[in-house]
Amino acid sequence: MSSTRVSFVLNGEQRTFEVPAGRRLLDLLRDDAGLTGTKEGCGAGECGACTVLLNDLPVPSCLVLAASCEGGEVVTIEGLGGDRSLHPLQRTMVEHGGVQCGFCTPGVVITGAALLEHGVTDPLEQGRRLAGNLCRCTGYTKIFEALKAAPREPGDG
Amino acid sequence: MDLPVEHVLRPTSLDEAVELLGKHPHAVPVAGGTDLVVQLRDGRRAATVLLDLSAAGLASISARNGGVEIGAATTMDAIARSSAVQEVSPALVAAARQVGAWPIQCRATLGGNLANASPAADTAPPLLVAEALVHLVSAAGERRLPVTELFRGPGETCLRPGELIRSVEVPARGSNGAVREGFVKVGPRWEQIISVASLAHRVELAADGSIRQARLAVGSVAPTPLRARAAERFLAGKRPTAAVREEGARRLQADISPIDDVRAPAWYRRLVTAVLLDRALTELIDE
Amino acid sequence: MADARSPLGGSHPRPDALAKVTGQTRYVGDISLPGMLHAAIATSAVPAARVRGIDVTAALAVPGVEAVMTEKDIPAENLIGVIFPDQPLLVEDRVRMVGDRLAVVAARSPEAAWRAAGAVVARLEPVSGVHDPIAALGPDAPLVHTSGNLVHTFRVERGDFDRAAARAEVVVEAEYRIGGQEHAYLEPQACLAVPEARRITILASCQCPFYIQQGVARVLGLPLSAVRVEQAPTGGAFGGKEDYPSEPAACAALLAWRTRRPVRLLYPRELDLQVTSKRHRMEIRHRWGADGAGRLRFAEVDVVVDAGAYAGLSTVVAERANASAIGPYEVPAVRVRTRVAYTNNLFGGAFRGFGAPQVAWAHEATIDKLARELGLDPIELRRRNVLGERRRITSTGQRLPAPVLARACLEKAVEASASARPSRPLPPGRWRRGTGTALVLYGCNLHHGGQHLDRSSAVVILQPDASAIVRVGLTEMGQGNLVAAQTVAAEALGIEPAKVEVWQPDTTTVADSGPTVASRGAHASGLAILDAVRRLRRRLDPVAAEMLGCEPAQVVLASGAAGVAGEPARAVTLERVAAEMVRRRIETIATGWYRSRRRRFDPATGLGSPYEFYAMACHVARVAVDPDLGLVRVEHVAAAHDVGRVLHRDALQGQVQGGVVQAMGWALTEELKLSGGRLLNPGFTDYLIPTADDTPEISIALLEDAPGSGPFGAKGIGEPSFIPTAAAIRNAVCDAIGIEIDRLPLTPPVIVEALAARHPFAFLLSQPVPRPAEDLGRR
Repeated sequence: MSSTRVSFVLNGEQRTFEVPAGRRLLDLLRDDAGLTGTKEGCGAGECGACTVLLNDLPVPSCLVLAASCEGGEVVTIEGLGGDRSLHPLQRTMVEHGGVQCGFCTPGVVITGAALLEHGVTDPLEQGRRLAGNLCRCTGYTKIFEALKAAPREPGDG
Repeated sequence: MDLPVEHVLRPTSLDEAVELLGKHPHAVPVAGGTDLVVQLRDGRRAATVLLDLSAAGLASISARNGGVEIGAATTMDAIARSSAVQEVSPALVAAARQVGAWPIQCRATLGGNLANASPAADTAPPLLVAEALVHLVSAAGERRLPVTELFRGPGETCLRPGELIRSVEVPARGSNGAVREGFVKVGPRWEQIISVASLAHRVELAADGSIRQARLAVGSVAPTPLRARAAERFLAGKRPTAAVREEGARRLQADISPIDDVRAPAWYRRLVTAVLLDRALTELIDE
Repeated sequence: MADARSPLGGSHPRPDALAKVTGQTRYVGDISLPGMLHAAIATSAVPAARVRGIDVTAALAVPGVEAVMTEKDIPAENLIGVIFPDQPLLVEDRVRMVGDRLAVVAARSPEAAWRAAGAVVARLEPVSGVHDPIAALGPDAPLVHTSGNLVHTFRVERGDFDRAAARAEVVVEAEYRIGGQEHAYLEPQACLAVPEARRITILASCQCPFYIQQGVARVLGLPLSAVRVEQAPTGGAFGGKEDYPSEPAACAALLAWRTRRPVRLLYPRELDLQVTSKRHRMEIRHRWGADGAGRLRFAEVDVVVDAGAYAGLSTVVAERANASAIGPYEVPAVRVRTRVAYTNNLFGGAFRGFGAPQVAWAHEATIDKLARELGLDPIELRRRNVLGERRRITSTGQRLPAPVLARACLEKAVEASASARPSRPLPPGRWRRGTGTALVLYGCNLHHGGQHLDRSSAVVILQPDASAIVRVGLTEMGQGNLVAAQTVAAEALGIEPAKVEVWQPDTTTVADSGPTVASRGAHASGLAILDAVRRLRRRLDPVAAEMLGCEPAQVVLASGAAGVAGEPARAVTLERVAAEMVRRRIETIATGWYRSRRRRFDPATGLGSPYEFYAMACHVARVAVDPDLGLVRVEHVAAAHDVGRVLHRDALQGQVQGGVVQAMGWALTEELKLSGGRLLNPGFTDYLIPTADDTPEISIALLEDAPGSGPFGAKGIGEPSFIPTAAAIRNAVCDAIGIEIDRLPLTPPVIVEALAARHPFAFLLSQPVPRPAEDLGRR
């Protein structure tokens, strides 16, 4: 397998990686960049545990070739909040009990943050768009409560 | 784990993509990868070389001939948000919103959905009733194909070796206000499912409420997505009364050939398709 | 000064939440060690075969492979499984189910390991297998094990059955076919084994570190003291990580022992779905009778449990099912028989509810059928027969203490359901709405048969700054054991929860505390912690008393201080007391112990006190059904739970919400499509668990009027939150369409099939399919 070089902005920092051609973004993040917050729950794009932001949109990183990220911008759960602060949704997830086993949580928070960023506040529309982030523990109710309670801009509340 | 792929070619223009595909005829084109990556991982497809089209300038939505031309690498999310596409094909917008879930929609592309040629491809029925044109390109030149001729069998298109889907052209709907259109997909869960049956309809009504022309396309009930010609022929010129709807459902059965598979039994798919047609036609009365 | 409020019943942030929400929590897959190898397993694709030979030459030749091991390479015992000695870790001469392990591989990359596993060649000679549990109990069935296909029979026999049957005016008979379920925890099975000369550490995603300790020690032939198991943060379990993790752990341990390097094993999702334990499929026959006044007279229940190829925990599941088969009703005569059958299917194991959901689904369906036969409202029939109204004696003859909250739960849930106004718009369709009720009683903690496991150990170490470190043997898997333990310790020490750290369970820090199952986490951890604090206070109180000028018995701990009972002005900070203890070198560490109380139970008759105490629960579901497509929208679930005492409100609610949604999946969309013992849908594409879009509105009532014997009166919630929901949904769907459906799950084709000739397009199925029209050359 030949290697490929890919450069992109990762959590606000310009990075360059040399990885095997068949490397998925998920493995680049976890193994090459050491960012283990993004999880592999199924490897088939069905569970959402691997969701990250790619160019401001949520994507299943287990289906994204690392090479496809060239010139783009990736944000993982580690980079969602500010330098020493939490994204409002991270805060409300803790406050409202939206976290149980935690394995789905990074993916849920990423998609949830994207929902808020894109102004999706209708709970039914939120539910449809979150349908790709499976959670087996919470029954989703407190996740919706956390979404409702989170203000749009980081640092708003 | 890494995919069993040796090289990823990443052209930055369509010309370069065509050239590379000509030089590497066994390279497999990929854009969003939402189907292909899973297939590679499962070993259902093998590819030593991938041709990554996500930077080849194929993602665009532009006006053309009164309709809309959608680049092959345009994502479902972009289609779902496009008022231009909504104008010419509301069924396509509805379908794009139901492919997987939002993160999948942000990667999955129109070209990928068509090239993958699943009988359950959600974008196919809307494009079939819109009578869209698929623009193909290769080193030998360009050609275009009605989408009705694109699918050959499950997972099989009529793309020739070295050929890429460049774009899909969705014609204008016609200025006649009496066109009704919709897309419904049914599966064993409400969201994030592969359909067990789907139906797109585009019906032109006459002034007296009868059906001037009906276009019906179904998914997941035959080896390919297809137009339900027997049902269409029957419905032309008729009012959508209960008797007509019932007979329409009967004729529809001749168009489809569902199978039993892990998702649903054939008999259920037949009933669902009949119900979807019935509902689409019933809605015409109410309006 | 610390927060003056007691944390009990509150909702302070869970201690593990911040790390989880920022991606800092390290699950097994997030931990790599230098020199670590990756493991893979080669499994059988056929369910029943004789093993003629296993050839690992090709596997060994894969570049990067360091070891390939088969049963010949096992140092000590080739046995896994908590109870019965019927399951080898690696196959010997027989394959009994799809997923039986042929060999294990360690390699320098996961790609190489799984490629090598795929290159293991097994010469398997298929033999006849049996895939139906009732057929398995028949005379001519192929034997799964030489001991015969009947693993065990449990019974309950009580009352004069024939006399009671004669008094029944209405009799309902039914056969229920209840499908299994996959746990679908978001984190697949995972473990990491680290060898160290004569001893080994296992880091595991698991519920029961002590089971793993025993399993690994047995396979490697090590003393228990040489096997350390630390529970990693675990991404969901639900019973699927109760006994099963001993299998991957023993595999990783074997490879680590051979290669002398750390070995990590992560299951790919498809493998996890295909081979791990599942909720038991059950076939349940009912014959129940009532008199004209709507009083239950007799109940006969016959259960056959599909254990799959290995007994695992099947007898324990059957034991609970057997004891719970009648539900919270007063029935003068009962006859229950529960048989466990081997088949060559995937093996059944623990899953939230542990046999109770299946029998509850059946008894609540039967109650509704009886109501319809009697012309009574189903809720009214329950009112007339529920325990606690006239008498408080269960079907096994156990007298319950007053108050019994079954009726109260029923009324609360019914009322909440009736006043709900679900507001979600429905898509076009001829929707029919229905309401269904399910009332259950849940035996808390371990059955009498599991008493030898029902003990728990805790350690509390008071730090010099009056913060506290707590160790328990029960595990956090998302259900809130951590916050429960933290809350109990904080309450007992009178300090704020943020000053209490409960670290990951580790078998070298506490004594065997039994499995984290049976909703016993808060109970067993909490009581052991309270015991530890009591013992700590034997040394702390005299020191505080000296500083306060009072008697040790007058010392109270609250708000971060030691004070004098009844004299709020006299107090000294706990920090000062702790510092003084340090100065005087007084012991600041204490262990605590809990064990359940003895009680009487006769396994032969099934009579006596199978459980120490009970929690009642009622769920009422409101559904909308599209009968033409068979689609169901669960609009609202009202849940009322007898919880004893609320330790942490958010955690309790979260468990109820999670239980309702998980049970909704089991009820409607989660189908294990098995054919010849093989799962046809081993992926989330076709094994469908509920999404965020499926969430119903849920109202929750938590009743605290009947304390249990848990910490501060708490009872468990992990399983009661799940047990009634599927039954309520089934009853609601049947109410909506006016037809009985006696199989689970109620998928769209099942619902449409039940409607049969009533479906508006049913005529399409009875006529021959018309010939395709001629010009279909172009589709």
